[in-house]
Amino acid sequence: MTGRIRKREQDPDITRRSRILLYVAFGAFALLLGRFYWLQVVESGRYRNLSENNRLRMRTVRAPRGLILDRKGRAIAETQGSFALVCSPVDVKDLEGEIRLLNEIMEFDVDEEEVLEKIRTAQRSNPYSSLTVARDLRFEQVSVVEFNRENLPGFSVLVEAKRSYPYGEAFAHVLGYVGEASPEEMEKPGNEPLMMGDLIGKYGLERLADNVLRGVNGGRKVEVDAAGRDQRLVEEVPSRTGGTVHTSLDVDLQVTAQEAMGDRAGAVIALAPRTGEVLAFYSGPGFDPNMFARGIRRADWQALNTNPRKPMQNKGLQGTYAPGSTIKPFLAMAALEEKMQEIGKPVVCPGSYRLGNRVFRCWKEKGHGAVDMYRAIVQSCDVYFYTLGLKLGPERVAKLERDAGLGTITGIDLPGERKGLVPDMEWKRTVSKERWYDYESLLLGIGQGAVHLTPLEMTVGYATLATGGEVMRPRVISKVIGMDGAVRSAPPERMRKLPWKPENVEFIRKALAGVVNDFGTGGAAKLPGIVVGGKTGTAQVASVKGKMIKSEHLPYEIRDHAWFIAFAPVDDPQICVAAMVEHGGHGGSAAAPIVKLVMQEFFRTRFVGPPRKGGA
Amino acid sequence: MNRPSKLGRMDWFLLVVALILCGIGLMNAYSGSRVHGVPGTALVTKQLAWILLGVAGFFAVYFLSDGFIEEITYGFFLAVLLLLVVVLLAGRVRGGAQRWIAFGAFNLQPSEFAKIAVTFALARYFSGKYRYGGFGLVEVLPAIGIVLVPFLLVALQPDLGSAGVFLFIFAGMAVVACVRGKVLGFFAGAGAAAIPALWFFMKDYQRQRVLTFMDPERDPLGAGYHVIQSKIAVGSGGFFGKGYLQGTQGSLRFLPEQHTDFAFAVFAEEWGFLGSLLLLVLFLLLVHRLFFLTVRSQDRFASFACGGIAVFFLTHIVINLAMVCGLFPVVGIPLPFVSYGGSSMLTNMMALGAAANLSRSRFTFQGGGGKGREIAS
Repeated sequence: MTGRIRKREQDPDITRRSRILLYVAFGAFALLLGRFYWLQVVESGRYRNLSENNRLRMRTVRAPRGLILDRKGRAIAETQGSFALVCSPVDVKDLEGEIRLLNEIMEFDVDEEEVLEKIRTAQRSNPYSSLTVARDLRFEQVSVVEFNRENLPGFSVLVEAKRSYPYGEAFAHVLGYVGEASPEEMEKPGNEPLMMGDLIGKYGLERLADNVLRGVNGGRKVEVDAAGRDQRLVEEVPSRTGGTVHTSLDVDLQVTAQEAMGDRAGAVIALAPRTGEVLAFYSGPGFDPNMFARGIRRADWQALNTNPRKPMQNKGLQGTYAPGSTIKPFLAMAALEEKMQEIGKPVVCPGSYRLGNRVFRCWKEKGHGAVDMYRAIVQSCDVYFYTLGLKLGPERVAKLERDAGLGTITGIDLPGERKGLVPDMEWKRTVSKERWYDYESLLLGIGQGAVHLTPLEMTVGYATLATGGEVMRPRVISKVIGMDGAVRSAPPERMRKLPWKPENVEFIRKALAGVVNDFGTGGAAKLPGIVVGGKTGTAQVASVKGKMIKSEHLPYEIRDHAWFIAFAPVDDPQICVAAMVEHGGHGGSAAAPIVKLVMQEFFRTRFVGPPRKGGA
Repeated sequence: MNRPSKLGRMDWFLLVVALILCGIGLMNAYSGSRVHGVPGTALVTKQLAWILLGVAGFFAVYFLSDGFIEEITYGFFLAVLLLLVVVLLAGRVRGGAQRWIAFGAFNLQPSEFAKIAVTFALARYFSGKYRYGGFGLVEVLPAIGIVLVPFLLVALQPDLGSAGVFLFIFAGMAVVACVRGKVLGFFAGAGAAAIPALWFFMKDYQRQRVLTFMDPERDPLGAGYHVIQSKIAVGSGGFFGKGYLQGTQGSLRFLPEQHTDFAFAVFAEEWGFLGSLLLLVLFLLLVHRLFFLTVRSQDRFASFACGGIAVFFLTHIVINLAMVCGLFPVVGIPLPFVSYGGSSMLTNMMALGAAANLSRSRFTFQGGGGKGREIAS
């Protein structure tokens, strides 16, 4: 009945055409449904991951490095909180533009090109990592970055642990410095946990004890919005601070050594002779290791490396110099041990020594007259030691010197130690076809010629004289406390005991005491109440023919190196100090006062009893 | 026989489906407008106001007397053309295109109204010329004129997406109005041939969009960003969805336009495949009902107009969803009733009102309903 009373029957064409469109609609909807099925059911796992990657970021919380302490527990390398500009490469929208903006607003303290390159690399290889772009921001810098946050997607300011060296240059060479781990360093075994931007010890103790000092990074899983801004903390794993390194260094001695050296180039080393503990180890000119902790600028780095006085070199460890007269006690010792010269037998010094047709001068033009061994050491008579060198020959001299630690690796726990050279006949054979000449033996006596040694070797040698033949391994680290609390201490290590006769040792000590206290060349190191024994050295850098010219009147580069090495008290040595001043002139006037100041500081807090009977 | 009142003869089905979709849209806007987890109630309130205004518009159109719509069709068409000219001359520029006219606190988008005006104008034209055996090429040419003028005006804004909708409506109406198969084929061929020419006239950003559509990864942070993030939102929803208000793509702002054109991405992320299916079913019911009215309407104008409205909704739904799931280039086409947007809400509701108005004459005599099922069988 329904259709019958209609005004008009439906047009069959329209019905047919509508049905076609409806089928089109069905088709389109089926296609959409298929697409939804594909995205939401088949591929949904992949998209779920992508959405999590979108939303979640692992923010590395870098572990603070452990402390390095001096012998009294004072921190000489520590970790401080500082503001760092951190970049999350994946969230950066317009890298060049943002870097330009950063540069404008905060007087960017780092190399722009370098930063661009670093972030671009990270964007390709590891976009979800976080990079530290600038460290140690000033407060104004932090506030301008925060103010411009909207325009700096991907950049944020975080509080990061910064390495800090409270004594600056004083400990630069011993402590070394840290820097971001290079790709090569990250690949080394044991360095697997290192992430891009992590700090690693590059030099000095920082490098040597890196595995102790390095902590374990923590992480913060955060939810970010599309602009990369943190919204919510999802999960946090705290970082673990690295272990502690105790050293035998003494801040007071180190600072004294630095101040005594002033702006001169050279090295000061102080050892406890009986244990080998390093009390001070200064090399000048230094550098400020804090500069590296901030991330050193290319220009600063270049300036350090092109400075002719080589501030990056640890002169005590790596610089080798002719020892000059400081070698003389070893020749005396060799002569006594080999029974080739009696203590009391005099040698006449007319002011020069003729060998064949060559004349070798004594430093004292007028000559010393007749001198015995004691006087020869005290007055540092060159002629006396020319004769000793000639008598002993290279083999005997080299043997004793090497036994005492000269020309050998001392085994100190600092990276990069170099050894000097004690010449002998075999060495001569290997470097040249010529035989060993007598004049070379002669020069052995005054520490010139081929011989060149590091200040550390000389210090160890004098410590061996002080202990009467006990060669101790010098060491800086006294104790290490790992992250897990495990304590590993480093006890004194005696490398060897030389069979020196006690009376010979006693004589050498007495003679060295005479150098300082008995009108000798080292009077400038005299201390009230304490008997210091030492020896000066003035090592020629260039031979000047003809007239004697005072070193001070020569150009800086060819002025003599000044040495002074001493221990005290002579009858019970507690400290052995070497000072070497590059192109410093006379040992007695340039180096001895440095040693005096260091010893004075050392004994300021230590009680020393009256001199032993029979002592110097 | 008593003639039932206008309300009694109302096609409630249309309004109910539309209101369910509006409800979903409102709920989704609440979640989609969350910024960093905080829901934006201001936007939801505004959308609610638009819905109420839309329902009022629905009834306003519905209560127009029989035949009135057909009578004012051309006048309405001319008025909308005028508006399109005005918007070109004095409209608001937003996102590089001039599409809006400020109207008090609301911004009107005349291109939305133009879609309906074109539909009615075409229905009027085709129904007036209708004869058995279908239209030939010559009779179709004036109809092309009717479409071309607003098409060009909208394309100049530039709003190529909306302009494209005119072409779809024209094509759909041509099918319903029984333009001869040969003529349809001719236009289909001409259209395909015109695509390279179209490329020539596109603005740079439009070409970018097309290229990016072909391969979103070529510019993942720029032009491809929308598609990639939208696909991630839809895909990460999985079968059951992340749960209401649990979506992250929208609230953390990875999704662009998360409450307007990409509203479905927010929905699909939170409600998963099941939600998508439900939404598709609702849209299918709506479109199916409109085609049913096309077949059952008592006069040709009503029939063609309903068919046009059906095509209008179908085009919007399919293009929007296809765009959100990466099957179509990104164009500014909202999802009817679900996307936030006043002009489109008002247009959609009034179009439904018109469909209900035009088709109520089939209830002149009782028992007219129910037979529509046969076309779906």
